[in-house]
Amino acid sequence: MFNLEKAIKSWLKKFYKHSAFNHGAIREMELHLRDHIEDLLSEGKAEEEAFLTAVTEFGDIKIMAKEEYSNLKRKTTIRSIIYTHMFNNYFKTLFRGMVKRPLTSFINVFGLAVAIGICMVVYSFMNNDYSIDRFHTNKDHVFLTTFSVESDGDLENYGKSPIPLGEMLQKDFASIERVCRIKDGNVIMKVNDKVFNERIRFTDPEFLDMLTFPLKWGDASTLSDLNSIIISEEVSIKYFGDENPVGKNMLMKVDGSNKKTFKVAGVAKPFPKSHIIDFDFLVNFENLKELKSLNSFTDWKYLVDATLIQVDDPANIASVKTGMEKYKLLQNQVEKDWAIVSFDFVSINDLHLASGDIVDDISFDGTYEGRVTLPIIAIFMIMLACFNYINIAIVSASRRLKEIGLRKVIGANKKLVTIQFLTENLVITFFAGILGLVLAMSIFLPWFVDLADMPLELSLLDQKLWIFLLGTMIFTGLISGIYPAFYIAKFDVITIFKGSVKFGKKNTLTKVFLAVQLILACVGITGAVMFAQNSSYQASRSWGYNQHDALYAAIPDYSTYEQLTSLMNQNTDILSISGSEHHLANSMSAAVIHLPDRQYKVKQLSVDANYFYTMGLELIAGREFQKDFESEKNSIIINEMMAKDLGMSDPIGNSFKMNDISYEIIGIIKDFHFNNFYYEHQPTVFNVANKSDYQYISIKAKEGSQKDVYMDFQKNWATLYPETPFKGGYQEDAWGEFYEELGIMEKFTTAIAIIFVILTCLGLYGLVKLNIAGRIREFSIRKVLGADLKSIAYNVAKQYVLLSFIAILLGAPISYLLITANIDLMFPDPRPFGYSGVIISVFFLLSILVLVIATQIWKVLKSNPSEGLKVE
Amino acid sequence: MISKNLTAASTKPIILGILKQGSSYGYLIIKKIKELSGGSMKYSDGMLYPVLHRLEKEGLIESKWTVNDESRPRKYYEITSEGKEALLAEKTQWTQVNAVLNELWGLETKTN
Repeated sequence: MFNLEKAIKSWLKKFYKHSAFNHGAIREMELHLRDHIEDLLSEGKAEEEAFLTAVTEFGDIKIMAKEEYSNLKRKTTIRSIIYTHMFNNYFKTLFRGMVKRPLTSFINVFGLAVAIGICMVVYSFMNNDYSIDRFHTNKDHVFLTTFSVESDGDLENYGKSPIPLGEMLQKDFASIERVCRIKDGNVIMKVNDKVFNERIRFTDPEFLDMLTFPLKWGDASTLSDLNSIIISEEVSIKYFGDENPVGKNMLMKVDGSNKKTFKVAGVAKPFPKSHIIDFDFLVNFENLKELKSLNSFTDWKYLVDATLIQVDDPANIASVKTGMEKYKLLQNQVEKDWAIVSFDFVSINDLHLASGDIVDDISFDGTYEGRVTLPIIAIFMIMLACFNYINIAIVSASRRLKEIGLRKVIGANKKLVTIQFLTENLVITFFAGILGLVLAMSIFLPWFVDLADMPLELSLLDQKLWIFLLGTMIFTGLISGIYPAFYIAKFDVITIFKGSVKFGKKNTLTKVFLAVQLILACVGITGAVMFAQNSSYQASRSWGYNQHDALYAAIPDYSTYEQLTSLMNQNTDILSISGSEHHLANSMSAAVIHLPDRQYKVKQLSVDANYFYTMGLELIAGREFQKDFESEKNSIIINEMMAKDLGMSDPIGNSFKMNDISYEIIGIIKDFHFNNFYYEHQPTVFNVANKSDYQYISIKAKEGSQKDVYMDFQKNWATLYPETPFKGGYQEDAWGEFYEELGIMEKFTTAIAIIFVILTCLGLYGLVKLNIAGRIREFSIRKVLGADLKSIAYNVAKQYVLLSFIAILLGAPISYLLITANIDLMFPDPRPFGYSGVIISVFFLLSILVLVIATQIWKVLKSNPSEGLKVE
Repeated sequence: MISKNLTAASTKPIILGILKQGSSYGYLIIKKIKELSGGSMKYSDGMLYPVLHRLEKEGLIESKWTVNDESRPRKYYEITSEGKEALLAEKTQWTQVNAVLNELWGLETKTN
């Protein structure tokens, strides 16, 4: 049976699907339909027929909805006018409020600005880091060849490759378009009276096609000419000043005896700031034969510093990789001690970021710590500033109760009040963002660039910068604004006007935020103190030898050593002179020792008999090398660590094979640091160097006479070799960079700690001040009734004492764990300073807290109660 | 049958014209139009309502719900003074169009 009521109801449901119809409109339609049906029924039609006719004549609801919706849109223009007025009013209220309450506005805007400013510095850092070496046209197609070798169970990646590989790759793979080998070498360059030690790159002509450094003068294709040299702009200025040097001659001296004159054929434009791979001098790879006395390029034992390949399609790199198996076999036949596990390729886009895990590659990753810690610091800063904002917004809301109440009475609902406060907050963050950018560009970034010596910049033309800034502003604005906005919007009008609303004073969240801020401040101060402690500890640590009395210089050959020695021996302040192939902190080699049960990789230094005395290396067992070199050909001295690793009760007298020669252990020396304290001790062997291999001369001077000896040293060098620049110095300067870096870390952590503390104190200061302002009548009454210092202080401070106590109780261990973990990560050796850093920090933080609160108590004490009672 | 476009264009003066004679509600207005046109102006009933609502938003007509004990509640529309002015303007325009067309067709019959 047809049910008319049901039919009408289901017809009406269709209207609800469209948001265009409100309840009244739908009711109107219903009445229309009912009228129509009634008329049709009175004409004698059946119910079903009448309904169907009425519905058909009514027409398509969808089209109607569309029409109705266009009416709605027209309506929004009227509403938008209202909104404009509304927002204008919000802005007016905001600005008046900011002017009226300069302190809270300052804390809010300044805090957020500092946080956003630091975010901008971090942005600049990350942006620079992720754009390093990514300006080459073919960047997506160029890859560095790497290989991995097993070392004591771990795979180690190397960025070097065997010299024959490049040519073979080019021949064997159709997908490889270009190949270029790179070998770096130390040379002496001479132009007229300018003579310098330099580092040059022997490379294939394809170098400049693959890494597209643009030239300022000259022609990149000239690199195929064996007599051409292409130089960087810096080098061009160093040797030739501002003039165009193309066509001029440069004399190159290699290894003392080999010489060749090159013609400058090109000068590169200044390299982009974000780069690591570059060059000073480029000469054709074939020059290696003549200048480095290399007979052929087919020796698999000879490694070049890099083999770069360019593929037609980056996707083809996988197929090249699978085809590398045969080279592995070729290589492993020759180098059994360094058996390659696999070859791999790293895109030059990723090389900088990956090179922390690649040994000896042409790039390096000096920014790993920054990439990890800087974003964390930025987030902490934003957190601190947002917490300040939230706390102050909640507490200061009590001063705006009447405004909120009034708005609600004249019709603002929760949503509108929320929108008002969020808008206010976004406007404040906008100010803070602009101020933050100004702070970043004028103070933070220049300071950081100066400190870290990195080529960072913030360009207003950088689109990404604005996107990042806007993103940070909106993020910060919402994070800091949402909670206060909802919190304030929630208030009930009646209770507001009754005056019975009490809030902001006992808000748990405010307390939690303040506690987190105190914990962060504690971490910051602890970081600064402990890094300072670490710096002074590292500075006082022993290197394991006597670096203070030693001087050294690099020499081209044995005759230089002999000539220098005979001259220097006349100086009575010199205690000892030594010649060596390797030298501490400068050069060493690696070797594989064959033990009965395993292979063992060690560092190897070839030295003479005087070396241990000269450098102050301490013998703890056995004997040193004797003067008679021939008899010591098969003797070896090992360090303590290796002695332990070998696991023998008395290693002296034992023999093992290294580089197919059998050696006998004759002595053990105390462990020493070849490299700075970032590196652990390494198992090391010393053997006697061939005189023809001497590359270093080291001198031990009498204590106090180092400076005079150094002057004499340089003077003698200058008379003997006027054409060769002196390359050496005090041994203790070898770690200059390391100590410099410690200093940078110390300064950086101190600066961060200062900002953490300032932000926290500002927040705390604002909170205490607002709290007291809200209770000024109460305090005035207390004073009138005779409250003394003790009672006032107790009343002001009581809510902060427990909180600070808990925060510090949590903060101290958190700080200790975080900062020690950070230091232990960087320095492998145990750190002798314990809890003193945390104790100092806690004490410092407490003093600041007391100071902030005490100034406010002082103000209350000094205030005139009759003034306080007048406050409404 | 009158074309769709012409129907749409004439809805506004027709509605205003009907309401000028006295306030009325949706169903009655439709019924009146159908009667007056003798069924030659045919469009779906539902399309009247968006037009009514638009006219109301433009301030040409006003509406109010009236509840009567004996009949259903109705939403009555009433023309405003602005609406009367608008109707006058519409009237002039339509008369002008009408005059032009009359003239044209009058001439045609003469030449024929």
